This record gives sequence, C-alpha cells and structure tokens, in this order.
Amino acid sequence: MPSAPSKLYSDDVSLLVVTLDTNPFFWSTFSVPFSDFLSQVLAFLNSILLLSQLNQLVVIATGCNSCGYVYDSASSKNHVSPTASMPALYSNLLHNLEQFVARDQKLSKPDHDTRGIVPASLLSGSLSMSLCYIQRAFRSGSMHPQPRILCLQGSADGPEQYVAIMNAIFSAQRSTVPIDSCYIGSNNSAFLQQASYITGGIYYKPPQLDGLFQYLSTVFATDLHSRAFLRLPKSVGVDFRASCFCHKQTIDMGYVCSVCLSIFCERHDKCSTCGSVFGQAQKDVTSANSKKRKA
Amino acid sequence: MPEVRIIAKNFMDMVASMPAMKLDKLYENGFICEAILRSLPPLAKKYVLQLLHIDVPVAAKLLEEWVLPDGFSKHRVAIDRLVQLRVFVEAADRKNEKTYKVTPTFQRSLQKLLVHGGTLPREPMPSNITVRLPTLEDLEAWALEQWECFLLQLISSSQVEKPSNISSSLMKVFQRRLLSQRDRDAPKLTESGFQFLLMNTNAQLWYIIREYISNSEERGVDAADLISFMLEISFHVIGEAYNINTLTDFQRSIIKDLADLGLVKLQQGRKESWFIPTKLATNLSVSLADSSSRKEGFVVVETNFRVYAYSTSKLHCEILRLFSRVEYQLPNLIVGAITKESLYNAFDNGITADQIISFLQQNAHPRVAERAPSVPENVTDQIRLWESDLNRVEMTESYYYDEFPSRDIFEGACDCAREWNGLLWEDSKKMHMVVKAEVHPYVRDYLRRQK
Repeated sequence: MPSAPSKLYSDDVSLLVVTLDTNPFFWSTFSVPFSDFLSQVLAFLNSILLLSQLNQLVVIATGCNSCGYVYDSASSKNHVSPTASMPALYSNLLHNLEQFVARDQKLSKPDHDTRGIVPASLLSGSLSMSLCYIQRAFRSGSMHPQPRILCLQGSADGPEQYVAIMNAIFSAQRSTVPIDSCYIGSNNSAFLQQASYITGGIYYKPPQLDGLFQYLSTVFATDLHSRAFLRLPKSVGVDFRASCFCHKQTIDMGYVCSVCLSIFCERHDKCSTCGSVFGQAQKDVTSANSKKRKA
Repeated sequence: MPEVRIIAKNFMDMVASMPAMKLDKLYENGFICEAILRSLPPLAKKYVLQLLHIDVPVAAKLLEEWVLPDGFSKHRVAIDRLVQLRVFVEAADRKNEKTYKVTPTFQRSLQKLLVHGGTLPREPMPSNITVRLPTLEDLEAWALEQWECFLLQLISSSQVEKPSNISSSLMKVFQRRLLSQRDRDAPKLTESGFQFLLMNTNAQLWYIIREYISNSEERGVDAADLISFMLEISFHVIGEAYNINTLTDFQRSIIKDLADLGLVKLQQGRKESWFIPTKLATNLSVSLADSSSRKEGFVVVETNFRVYAYSTSKLHCEILRLFSRVEYQLPNLIVGAITKESLYNAFDNGITADQIISFLQQNAHPRVAERAPSVPENVTDQIRLWESDLNRVEMTESYYYDEFPSRDIFEGACDCAREWNGLLWEDSKKMHMVVKAEVHPYVRDYLRRQK
C-alpha cells in the first residue's frame, strides 16, 4: 500500500464558528449547571485548536437580548493573562463571556413578563453573525480554511424568529457552509434539525450530558474532509413544520401565498408580506358552479 | 505490521524511527505531543481525540465500525501511523483480538495540555528590557537572507562575502551528499545537490536539519534532546524575545548554529542577551506539504532562449549559472541565455533536462506563470533534444574476432552468432566480426569445436 499522499495533511484545516447559548432563563431551570457545561465545551474548543496550527475558532455568545463575539483565535487583541494555570483561550473567553452576560442582562426590558414562559435565545442573530464572519473570511485572503458552524443550543425554539432563521439557513446552504447542531434541551429543536438537514451538517442530541466532551470530540470535531469516510449520526426524523407569519405559531397545515410563499395559519384577503390580493376563495367558486348546474 | 514506509520527510518520521524508550521520554513533553498530533493524517487525529479519555483498550473491530467502506484504506493508514509513532499501543485481549490504547505517557501529557494549557519553559521578555526588536517583516527578510547566505556558502564557499560561523566540519557534513570533490578540482554539485537547490525552503531546511540531527551522535549530542529542543523552539512566538539565560548549556551551543541558519536571531542588550524565533523556526513542526509557503517565481524564459531572472540573490545567479550562460547582471535582473554549451555542461554534471525544465516552470515569474506553458515549448523541446543528442551513441559490450583460418569457419561463426541473435557487425571480405559479449562463450565454443 502506498503511503498517504502528502496532500491529505492540509485538507483538514477548518474554520469553526461556535454559537454558545447563554440564555440565563434556560440555564437556571436546566439540570446541568452552566459552569459544568462550559468546562466541557472549553476543553473541546481547545482541542479544535490543538488539531492543526491553521485551524481557526470563533465563538459567538447567543443571549436572549443580544449576541456577541466572545472569542476569535485569529484576532491579535486577545489579552494574554499572566496566570499559568489556564490556557490563554480559556481566560480570554471567560473574560469576554462575563462582560457579554452582564451587557445582555442590562438590555433586558424591566417590564418583560417572564413568569411561566422561558424567552428564546437569539439564534437567528448569532447564525447571521457567523455567516457574516465566514463571508468576510471568504473575501479576505486567497487561502481560507473550510468553514462550518456549530450551534450549541439548549433553550427552545423561538417561533417568532422563524423567517430570520430560515433565511440564515438558506444563505448557509448557498455558500455551502454546513451547520452542525448539538441540542441539549429536553425536546428536539425543529429549527436546528432543519438547519442541519438543509445544509448537510450533523444534528445530534447527546443522551447524557456528563460525557459531553466525548460526544463533542467524537461527532463535532470531525473536519469536513474526514466526514466522507466516517459513520456519523444520521438524522432519524426531521420536523419540517413551518411557523405562520401572522401569529408565529408552528402549524401542520396552513395557507401559502402563491406569489411569495409566505405562510399563514388563517385565510387573508391580502398577503401581508408582498401585498398581492388573493382571488376568490374556493368556496365561492364551488357555489358558483353549483348555481350554474342548477340553472 | 505497519504498512507505511518510513521516508524521513519531516520531523515526525525521524521521531517514528526512534526506539520506544526514547519516545516515551519525548512524550513527557506536552509540546512534542502537540506537534506529533498535528502531523497526523486527519482520521488519526480524530481517533486520538476520541480515545484520549478512554483508559481501557478498545477493540480494533470497534474502531473499524466507525469507518465507511470507502474510507477503509485511509483508516489503515491512520492506524498504522499511530502505531508507528507509538501513539497507540497494540495489544491482544483475552479472545486474542487486536486492541488499541493511547500510550499512557502521551495520553497524560495531552490531557494536561488540553485542560491546563501548555506553558513554555520560558516567558517572552518584557519590552522595557528588549530594545530595538525587529519588525516581523524585517525578521523574515533577515531569516531568508541568512538562509540564502548559508546555501550559497554550501554550494560554493569561495563566493561568500561574510562567511557564517558554522564550523567547517559541520559544513562538510552538510555538503557530504550535495557536493563531490575530485582530487584538486573545485567541488562540484552532485545530482542530489542540484535537486536540493530546486526544493522549496521548507524542504531544504528539513534536509539540513535532518543531516544536523543524524550527525549529532557523532558530536556526542543526544538526538532525542536535540529533537525535543527544536520542537520546543517551533512553538515559541515569532518576533518575541526570549532570554538566553533560560537555556541550558547544551541548548545554548545549539542555538548558535540555529542562528547561523536563520532560525533564530540573537541580540545583545546592555546586560542580557536574547533570541528571537523566526518563521523558519516555527515552520519546523509544520508538515512539508504546506503549499502556502510557496515563494513567488522570478524567471522569464523567452522563445529566443533568453532567460530573464528578476532577482537580487546571488544564490539564484549561481543556480542559473548551472545550466545557462549568464550574460550580464543589473541590480535586480540577471540575464542569461540557454545555449548548447551551457546545457552540455549541466548534463555533464548529472543534471537532467527534466530537472532544468521543472525548475524553470516552478520558478516562473507570476506574469508568465499564468500562461500555459509557462516556459515556451520550443525551448523545452530543444533542451530535451540536446539531452537526447548526448545519448545518441549506445554502448554495448562486445568481442571482436579476426584472422579466421578459413572462410567456412568464418561463415559458420557468423551463423552461430546470428542464431544467438548476437551478431553486431561483420566484414566478409576481410573476415572480421563483432559479437555481443553475452554471445561470446557460444561462439568461442563453436570455434574450439571446429579445431
């Protein structure tokens, strides 16, 4: 057998954009504390950088009022902390994350009624930010690593973000950026299932959270090049249900505008998105027909 | 048995060929583990990460289940490489099935690196002590200049204006396979010497470092120490200053050699002295396949066999001189011509036409590199033709017969040689003939029988 062609060694360089769910409402109700989760994720992030000196890592925090970059391995502004017990990645990321959470908290509206409902995280915002970052990487130098997005999400879907998230998914599909999703919440996330399905990424819901690092390193550390040779988790079933544009509810059946494909849960005379006026309803036509038949 | 052949293309192959005891010692250093990990094929990297926190041996069958049928050959390459580098230990379980486990030392070091991060044995010096640090561009330019100066000295020691401090005995070691010296003639480049000049900087650097390391035993230096120190250097930050007092005596003696090669720059302050790693040093642990380090070309070849090389480097001039007639030199331009004589010179030295053509193509100036072919076809064809001209005469070992006693015997001998398909030439009037050497015994036997 010939030895591995030397080209192999540079194919696995990746640009990984990680969106990290920091929704305090979710973490306060969740069985695993955020700190435990974070320590496993940090080890995973460090191992990504360890795999190749050309790998690039960007971490975006997804709050419930805002999103923000908390770490970029390419940026030179990372302040190096003098503590020797912790890699620079950890201290930088934790420092920025603390600042972000405090800022995010200030933005929350005081009159917001949070009883009973857990507000969703701004996944659409962080997806858009990751795509923007990747576009910038594409357009800057001639050599760019293979990009992918990993969503570490815990809180439930926010149906009001449906349109924004779908737009982000389609633009990721267009620029062939796979969206991997690791969902740790209780039910499956329909948004992330669709995102991974459409963009060719992996959707995985770890059954046990105390071994999260093992799941992350087994499934999500796989670079795009190696994915062609490995058995990775396949999606069992994808929840393709859409949300209506009028009340932002997830629906099984509904009305679709024939011009712009907007979805509504009830009949409208005029499309609220593109303004086209809908014709006569089916009922009137059938009654007219029956009238004709009678006459 | 591992199926991957060991070709010492980079550090890792050298590491792979080391005895197990030394490897275990090397793997106590987290940075070496990191460098090893980065050098692995993608699948192998993934396996290491996956098994990093598993303390029990994992059955080989289980590993195979992760792979799709398409990727099986890649899987084998990855596993072989891991076993070769002793990152994985192969064993058999009770049912006599193969199992793999990450080498405990490697596992411990990498786990520690992952959780606590690696700390270099020395910190960069604060900027208030180190004055006039070079900018990154200056540093790179300096490193390349130093490297070219070294190369020039390597191929023709007389040409150098400021000879580096590399001891002549060490220089001899480097030249061993690149130059051949016949008695009192000036040393000549060998075939591998020319190939060496054609390689990119990374490959050249690796060749020199390999010679340096393999020669270390003769100088009484432990190769493992040398490798671990060089890998350590490659993880230092480019352009930062590190105090020389943090080095051991052994390392200090090596760092002087490295400075001559352009891997580190030494600077002296008022009290302290320090070294600054350059890009060449940090490239040491990078695998050679990295195409991003390719330099821009500088050669334009015209259809009239003229060669224009936009370069200020003496080294480039030397290389061009190997196969072309350099006509004149401007500050940033070397103009030469490829002539029959200059090429015959090159062929005499064991350089082949293909090597020359590939050199011209690889170093084509960006303006012509876009064109297909970057070197005019009539030039490449002519170079090949001139080479085949030299090979027009074919040598065959043979025997010459004359003074046959009679025409019958002569004709019989001719027929005998013809039967064996070995008659090269005959002159029936003067009764001379030439036969191939391998047919000679049969013809001789035939003639003896005639007596």
